[in-house]
Amino acid sequence: MLPAECSRRLVAELRDALDSCAELQRQLEQSLRVSRRLLRAWEPAETPAPEPTPGPEINEEAPSSACPPSPQDLKELELLTQALEKAVRVRKGLSKAGEGVKAHSLKSGSTSPATRASAPPSTSHCAGSCAPGTKPPRGIRHPWVPAKDLPGRRLLLVGDGAHMGKGAGANKPEAGLRDQQIIPQAAPPVPEAFTLKDKGALLRLPEAFRKAASRNARLWAQLSSMQTGDSVDAAAATAKTQFLQKMQTAAGQPGSRLSSAEVGRLQKACSLLRLRMREELTADPKDWTQEYRSLLTLEGLQALVGQCLHRLQELRSAVVEQPQGPWPEGPPRAASPCGGGADPMWSPQLLLYSSTEELQTLAALRLRVAMLDQQVHLEKVLMAELLPLLSEQEPLGRPWLALCRAAHCLLCEGGQRFLTVLRDEPADRLSPP
Amino acid sequence: MGRRRRRQPDPADAARALPEAIAALSRTLPAAPSPEIFRRAKFDRPEAAPALWRLLFHVLSPLSADSASVSFTLVDGPPELASPIAEAQVRWVKSVLHSQGYPRLALVQLQDDGSQGGRELLLALAWLLARGPLPERLLTQSHVRLGDEMPVCECEALASPGPPAPRVEAEGSVDIRHLQWLMGKLQLRWRNLMAGQQEQCALLGKNPWQRIFCSTRLSWNLSGLQLLLLCGTCPPADLPAPQTQIHSYTRGCHSDRSLGHLSVTETELLRDPEGGRQLLQRLETENARLEAALEWRHRELVFWRWMDTVLDTCPLEASPPTFLPRIPEPGAGAAGLPVRELQALQEELQALQEELRKAVEARRAAWQAAVGGHGPEWRAARRALQVAVAQDLAALQWAWEQGKGQARPHGPRRLVRTEARVPGRLGLWATEATEALRAREACLEAMLHQLQGQCRQELARLVGVRPGLIWVPPPAR
Repeated sequence: MLPAECSRRLVAELRDALDSCAELQRQLEQSLRVSRRLLRAWEPAETPAPEPTPGPEINEEAPSSACPPSPQDLKELELLTQALEKAVRVRKGLSKAGEGVKAHSLKSGSTSPATRASAPPSTSHCAGSCAPGTKPPRGIRHPWVPAKDLPGRRLLLVGDGAHMGKGAGANKPEAGLRDQQIIPQAAPPVPEAFTLKDKGALLRLPEAFRKAASRNARLWAQLSSMQTGDSVDAAAATAKTQFLQKMQTAAGQPGSRLSSAEVGRLQKACSLLRLRMREELTADPKDWTQEYRSLLTLEGLQALVGQCLHRLQELRSAVVEQPQGPWPEGPPRAASPCGGGADPMWSPQLLLYSSTEELQTLAALRLRVAMLDQQVHLEKVLMAELLPLLSEQEPLGRPWLALCRAAHCLLCEGGQRFLTVLRDEPADRLSPP
Repeated sequence: MGRRRRRQPDPADAARALPEAIAALSRTLPAAPSPEIFRRAKFDRPEAAPALWRLLFHVLSPLSADSASVSFTLVDGPPELASPIAEAQVRWVKSVLHSQGYPRLALVQLQDDGSQGGRELLLALAWLLARGPLPERLLTQSHVRLGDEMPVCECEALASPGPPAPRVEAEGSVDIRHLQWLMGKLQLRWRNLMAGQQEQCALLGKNPWQRIFCSTRLSWNLSGLQLLLLCGTCPPADLPAPQTQIHSYTRGCHSDRSLGHLSVTETELLRDPEGGRQLLQRLETENARLEAALEWRHRELVFWRWMDTVLDTCPLEASPPTFLPRIPEPGAGAAGLPVRELQALQEELQALQEELRKAVEARRAAWQAAVGGHGPEWRAARRALQVAVAQDLAALQWAWEQGKGQARPHGPRRLVRTEARVPGRLGLWATEATEALRAREACLEAMLHQLQGQCRQELARLVGVRPGLIWVPPPAR
């Protein structure tokens, strides 16, 4: 058994690591859920919301003035949804009967593409006039059931975002509805739920969203450009520095204090230097210039490391001298490996990839680096706790051997493989403990 | 055409300028109280304190996401009706400010129940604002991401701990086998994570006619077959799995030509109108905050002048004689930095120095042996090389001094699928990011092996003193 203090620290570290992993897993699962759902057939949304376009008047040029739609329209819509769902079931049976039959029944049941193409302008116009106060996204709260395309034909979608590219889709229920009323016996247009595979290229983002997004980008650009000062900015900058100085002097605190920024810089220096050293050591010099260059670089790196160590010593001695203030002890702040070089301002940055392998390699590598980082950290923590323990404990009993073996496993093999300990006594060979 | 001369400032304008500046500030910060609170804080009124504690908490918390701050946003009503701030949060704010170097002691002397100290908190807020672009940083953190974001550096891969979450206190001593079990659990979680990540990438951008052969570098710990299975290789055509690519299927849909296709977020908003409406709302909120930030930047000068007067109304701080300097404990140091951390850093630097020393010695010796036979042109070339290397190293040093990543990609980026190597595309190519990450991976692997080697040596030393035991190492891979 490990002592309580040590146990607590180690268990806390491991639990932290597990929690970080779990958080990542949770985020990943959520995005997987979303992506999978997007790739399946999209279900029709439940639509208690009124359909901005009225029912049967769709093919007339005059925009309808029926808004909000009457309860009768809603009822008809519900009937339509039920009928279409039933049709989906019927279709499943029909699909066995072969493609040709289906295409034929479609032709008879639905409107021609020509009227379909002309209808969207009136639809969207109507939607625009009908729903002045409501937000455009409400326009898509209707049964999302565009009729099955005839093979090889593509719908022309006039792009007004008010319908988000589903103008044709909105048309279908109306067309179908009309058909229902006129020809109740004919097979309704066989609807198929929307799939991204077939019709993904037809989607259009809603107008309001596009406007908000472009405004967002513009505002960010303005904010970024403000960083490069003008006269107002310079005055503010001097005012700020003066204020900070005044705060410092008014505080009555002695001298400069060790700030975590300084240590962060040194940590970053350490990792950059190590990275650079690694590059130099693995590089293969081709000729004497390169050899000499790498030699000079290594010597330069050595000098820089010396400087950092010196600075660190200075800081440490300063720390020891200063009295511990009455400040509460906070949680240790983990140093970010990127060293806080984060840009405070967002700017649209793109990551371009051209094949899935590239993306997968990148993603896997990123996770692997994070995992290695965590492993290195855990290794250091375990070393700091377990090695002193082992050297302190004297008794050569089974507990100590077990501890040694477990420590070896954790520290040297990453918790994956165990070694065997054999007691070597000439009299009788004992089995491993 | 010359610049239009600014008309003389109107006194009425001047009177209005400060409240407007503060109003802009309060509109852009998350969970900020009304401008009236700021004014009351100057006079140290008690009702200002809880609101400002809350503000500081949200500003300092690295998880100051929209969802967290929403519950605290005061839309209407007096601040005393809002939920009181917890003592733990007050202490947390104090410790974070201290670790950032906040100079004034008056802050720590405030009560932990958060009921006093409006003026001091106002000063603390101004101090944070003066040190860096705080509103912009907060806005960046809470920025509404419209694309499929992937950070290319690993610093965001693992969530950093924020304010102390309520944690079940760990039991006392545990067996080391418990630790081994936790380690195993951790490794299993990583494997699941990797597999899930591969699938997500496939859903985003897989070509249904290609098989996925993950690069062999990924096959650590898993046999090739296992890895292929985990990656969800493209099945033969008869399998019904909808292995299609969201990016590819929405190609040509985006109004922004440089992007070209929709992201998962955008496609989702098309599928789910309710979610789309919420996303739109968040965008609009952010736009409002951005506008407020711009306005703040224009008006902040008058705020700083006002803060000078606030500072003047504070009584001068006595130097801290009432608190006896506590002997620094071995586990703690000033400014919230454990001495342990400094020790670790020192050891790392020393190890680095040792490795460099050995490498330099070896190479210098080899060089001296081979250097004969170079003519006078050698001297000129040598000087040129020295200058070049000196510049190189200076750039390296500048990278950590200035706190800028050494042209390393940083921050989450929007994924865009595009044809290979179209010139003129602005953005980072995945292949380049992969190279940078591979370098880092190699570095970390080397470090891990070095640490493990160190442990082996140490353990060997410990058990070596006890004769009569044979240690059989596990079979090498």
